[in-house]
Amino acid sequence: MTIGFGDRLPAATVLEMTEDGPKPVDLAERLKGRRVVIFGLPGAFTGICSTSHVPSFIRTRQGFADKGVDEVICLAVNDPFVMNAWGEATGATAAGIVMLADASGAFAKGIGMLFSIPERGLIDRSRRYALLAEDGVVKVWHPEPDRGCSISGGEALLEAI
Amino acid sequence: MTIEVGGRLPEATFSKMGAEGPELVQLGDLTKGRKVVLFALPGAYTGPCSTIHVPSFVRTAADFRAKGIADIYCVAVNDPFVLKAWGESTGGTAAGITFLGDADGSFTRALGMDFTAPQIGLHGRSNRYAVVLDDGVIAAANVDKPGVCDISVGEALLAKL
Repeated sequence: MTIGFGDRLPAATVLEMTEDGPKPVDLAERLKGRRVVIFGLPGAFTGICSTSHVPSFIRTRQGFADKGVDEVICLAVNDPFVMNAWGEATGATAAGIVMLADASGAFAKGIGMLFSIPERGLIDRSRRYALLAEDGVVKVWHPEPDRGCSISGGEALLEAI
Repeated sequence: MTIEVGGRLPEATFSKMGAEGPELVQLGDLTKGRKVVLFALPGAYTGPCSTIHVPSFVRTAADFRAKGIADIYCVAVNDPFVLKAWGESTGGTAAGITFLGDADGSFTRALGMDFTAPQIGLHGRSNRYAVVLDDGVIAAANVDKPGVCDISVGEALLAKL
């Protein structure tokens, strides 16, 4: 079952790369009492994610800050080593976007967005979406209905909040 | 299933990045009637894989070819998008190493080489080993203990040829 407006995001432990290596992050704890944008996507270094989705949040990062968003998080079912390299390669990390690894896929599964495209080597990944959470509760929910990146992009989410 | 000289590897379908995007290849087709090297590691962009394991095969690629090795394959439980980016950033692709994604981890599991380290975000990944395959039959094998990158490096395998 996919989450939606008004739902509390499921508890999940994700991973963040630090100077001392990967560190677990209790997502529910991280969201508590804060306004946070999360966008999720199929995978680091894949086409639309690198050329469209991440850049749209780099462009709008300041816009979200101006609207009182405390943090913008990019989540993918990848490991923290890959997320770290991808954050650097795309410029997302430099733009202040936090790259978190949903390495086990537990969060993507919990929000009902898990999918696979075996012929492209993508197994148990996350469908594309963007959301705004306030105190861990979904206030804006923008799942991408088709291929591509329109409603789940930075501009569309920024406009909705 | 164990890796031993005279034995074979399990049949596998790997993802590989082609000119038109990801494609699926069969291990049997890559090894039939040819002499090739295959080495496996825990993951793209992880420490020893990037700094020790792949570089050891970059250094020895020409020596392997001089000894009649037709191709060198690097296998990891990653998708072909990540492996393409990593192959380029490590210099592995430029050295003629072909990166194969065991995207669903089924080959690694069938081989009994899988491990999971959730605290660093690695699920169902591969321990390190390197083999020479002659028409699909294991002609030489160096299998490292979990967590170690010692005898599965290029130089050690080359010494067995």
